[in-house]
Amino acid sequence: MRTRNRSTWLAIAAATTLLAGVLIFLYARSRAYDEAGYLENVALLLDLKQQGAQWELDVLKSRIGLYKHYDPLARTRMDLGVLLDKLESQTTQQRHDQAAALGAGAAAVRTAVDDRAALIERFKSVNAVLHNSLAFLPVAAADVQQLLEQSRGDAAAQRASARVNHLLLDSLLYTQSTSNERAAEIRSCLDLLEPDQRQLPVQVRTRLELFRSHIGVVLREQPVVDELLGAIAAASPSMRIDQFNEVLEAEQRRAAEQTRRYREYLLVFSTALLGLLLIAAFRLVRSHAVIRRVNQALQGANENLEQRVRERTQELHQAHSELMATARRAGMAEIATNVLHNVGNVLNSVNVSVGLITAGVRDSKVQGLAKAVGLMREHADDLGRYLTGDAKGKLLPGYLEQLSQALLAEQRGVAEELAALARSVDHVKEIIAMQQAHAGSSHLVEPLQVGQLVHDALRMNQEGLMRRRVVVDEQLPPIPELALDRARLLQILVNLIGNAGQALESLTDRERQLRIAVHIEQESILRIEVEDNGVGIAPEHLTRVFAHGFTTKKDGHGFGLHSAVIAAREMGGTLTAHSDGPDTGARFVLELPIKLGEDIQ
Amino acid sequence: MNWSRWCGPLQRLRSCALACALAIAGIPALARPPLASAPDEPIQPVPWTLSPNPARAEIGRLLFHDVRLSGNGRVACASCHDLAKGGADGRVRSIGASGGLTGTNTPTVLNAALNFRQFWNGRADSLEAQVDQVVRHPVEMGSAWEDVVRRVSQDPKYRGAFAAAYLDGVTMANIQNAIASFERTLITPNSRFDRFLRGDARAISEAEKTGYAMFKRYGCIACHQGVNVGGNMFQKFGVMGDYFAQRGQPAQADLGRYLVTGQERDKHVFKVPSLRNVALTAPYFHDGSAKTLEEAVDVMFRFQLGRIAPKEDRDSIVTFLRSLTGEPAAAP
Repeated sequence: MRTRNRSTWLAIAAATTLLAGVLIFLYARSRAYDEAGYLENVALLLDLKQQGAQWELDVLKSRIGLYKHYDPLARTRMDLGVLLDKLESQTTQQRHDQAAALGAGAAAVRTAVDDRAALIERFKSVNAVLHNSLAFLPVAAADVQQLLEQSRGDAAAQRASARVNHLLLDSLLYTQSTSNERAAEIRSCLDLLEPDQRQLPVQVRTRLELFRSHIGVVLREQPVVDELLGAIAAASPSMRIDQFNEVLEAEQRRAAEQTRRYREYLLVFSTALLGLLLIAAFRLVRSHAVIRRVNQALQGANENLEQRVRERTQELHQAHSELMATARRAGMAEIATNVLHNVGNVLNSVNVSVGLITAGVRDSKVQGLAKAVGLMREHADDLGRYLTGDAKGKLLPGYLEQLSQALLAEQRGVAEELAALARSVDHVKEIIAMQQAHAGSSHLVEPLQVGQLVHDALRMNQEGLMRRRVVVDEQLPPIPELALDRARLLQILVNLIGNAGQALESLTDRERQLRIAVHIEQESILRIEVEDNGVGIAPEHLTRVFAHGFTTKKDGHGFGLHSAVIAAREMGGTLTAHSDGPDTGARFVLELPIKLGEDIQ
Repeated sequence: MNWSRWCGPLQRLRSCALACALAIAGIPALARPPLASAPDEPIQPVPWTLSPNPARAEIGRLLFHDVRLSGNGRVACASCHDLAKGGADGRVRSIGASGGLTGTNTPTVLNAALNFRQFWNGRADSLEAQVDQVVRHPVEMGSAWEDVVRRVSQDPKYRGAFAAAYLDGVTMANIQNAIASFERTLITPNSRFDRFLRGDARAISEAEKTGYAMFKRYGCIACHQGVNVGGNMFQKFGVMGDYFAQRGQPAQADLGRYLVTGQERDKHVFKVPSLRNVALTAPYFHDGSAKTLEEAVDVMFRFQLGRIAPKEDRDSIVTFLRSLTGEPAAAP
């Protein structure tokens, strides 16, 4: 059972791990591509492209003189450098499948930008020189013309002046549209100027030489500027940026495709998981319903049981109180029966005594005395002669003597009977007193003879014992008077003896014996044993015989032994029951504390 | 970009309110001139600040004056870039850590942050790269970065400051960045000429205005333009004549940008230097051959512009150039 449980748990754990693993794998694969990173890169590339275009625009503006300084060009170059650094750090920090291709792409973009930067640097230098010369050409021409003016009339000077004007115009036109023909024309014009120049004064010659050198600069630098502008336009990093972008896009497409595929897997997997979950939920709900049903049934049974227990308890209570009432009534009736029976017995002897006394008085010799007294009154005159002389009279003294003896005897008899009568009346008083003790009305401790009390108890049960022909074995050694609660002790003894008599009633196979033994133990305990050889007590009943309401008798009420044990406890003693089991007889032992050698007065 | 769009009206509003307050109080306006630049002028005013990180700039200030950056502890950045001498040292060529002479005249550090490249031949793309090359240069500072980082790390003051200003404490890159941050504070806005550019017509004299007109008319402006009056392009030294043949004593440094690119056409090509504070940074040119501004302008006329100018015009231009001297920027 335990191993089965463990293997089940292991299987569940393994399944959970597997499902979680699949889930995490699919999730990780579906998220492997950093879309935000891609968008960042695209934004960066757009920015790069725009700055590249801006750069080209800056160059053109510088070329046509819209920009009067090169700060914008330098600034754009710096911005591009920052963007390139960002692109490189971004692509190396992000996860890329095509990391090498992207690295190469970024390097290509940087090379393109650097190449263009070099072209633009050259453009700036050359353009500055060209601009400077172009700006100076009219001034230089004017200077030359002013000096030529002074030597007017000189043919060489006039030709030179015309040629200078021609050169100036051609140069300006050349800057507007560069062509080799015009350059050749300018060069030939310069050559033509040469011989005239030599004929001019030194001052003019110097100026003219300056003019020529600037024309030379224009001729030299203008094509370079044009070429550089073309090269700058051609060296746009846009193509490299687009190539980089294509790599990125391809990667993004692949990643998006992969993400989409893994998302589909994830969806399928999730659906399967959901199905499992639904099944589990269904089963859970079902088992929950079963549990609830069983629970409800249990609760119902429980409530029913409680109701029944309550009812039974109530019934028991009712029965108990009824029993108590019955017991009280029955106990009182039994006591009354006992008392009346005993009183009846005593009344018999009272009756006998009264009959004897009545008969004695009726048949009294007092009448003989009366006759004798009558004779004497008749012979009052000669009493002496009569007594001595007369025959009859001579018999009279003797008769009187006999009569007085008879009367004495008669008086003695009546007195004896009266004494017996008085004793019987006392007995009745005792019986009534005992009944009062049963009612618990008197708890007087008084000196008493235990033996006498045992006799009284036996006599009070005399009728039952005699009817059952019980042989009573009294073991009553002489013991001194003891101070005891007479009524309680008598009550206990009457109960024990009565019970013993009843226990002996059904006995047929052997002599019915009752033994009462009294002795003092260790000078402090009075021990009275009441033992019979009757039906005995079952072991399971031994502990319960003293319980209130316990009885084995058909008409019993479970009151006697209970009140007896209570009385024993009230006297500071114990009452215990002993039996070896059914049909082996029973022995009740009453032990009471006593104080010997004390003045019982 | 958006920020400035929102900020513009706000700033206008604020300056309006300030002007009103001053007018009411009857106090002559002491506020800085309006920020508006001169859109059509080839020269633009120096910005008030480049907004470097103040904590980093402060570390950079200490490092800039610290001889521990040099291999033998003899020189600091400030040894050649003396801020009291216009950010240079006034020598034709400077004396390095071991007493050797540098290849070129020391360019000023003032407004170097506004140059598009660093060094005469533009071999450094950034201030940081410039610091790197100078520190490692055998003649200039003769140091190795591991030693510099170690020496700086040993100073608890630096350690604490770096830890507060940088995530990764004292490193080569952070030392370079700190010095560069300090150099970004070394701009000189509010020159008299800039005040003129911002609309204060009385900021420069009539002579200086004439000089500016000459500067433009003679074509100086073709190269010396932009915010730094130069410093944003390369140009060949000797466009209209062979300067080096005329000067003699050819040196390797004369090859200029050729040393960087190796291309024939880059021979004698140099970064056009800034003319900001030019009155403070004699001698002039990469070889320090011109002792005075007048000499320098004459050389320029002859070899760059191919022009013959009367002395008055040259002096007029020099007068204008002196108006380009600015003030140190406010501490960030």
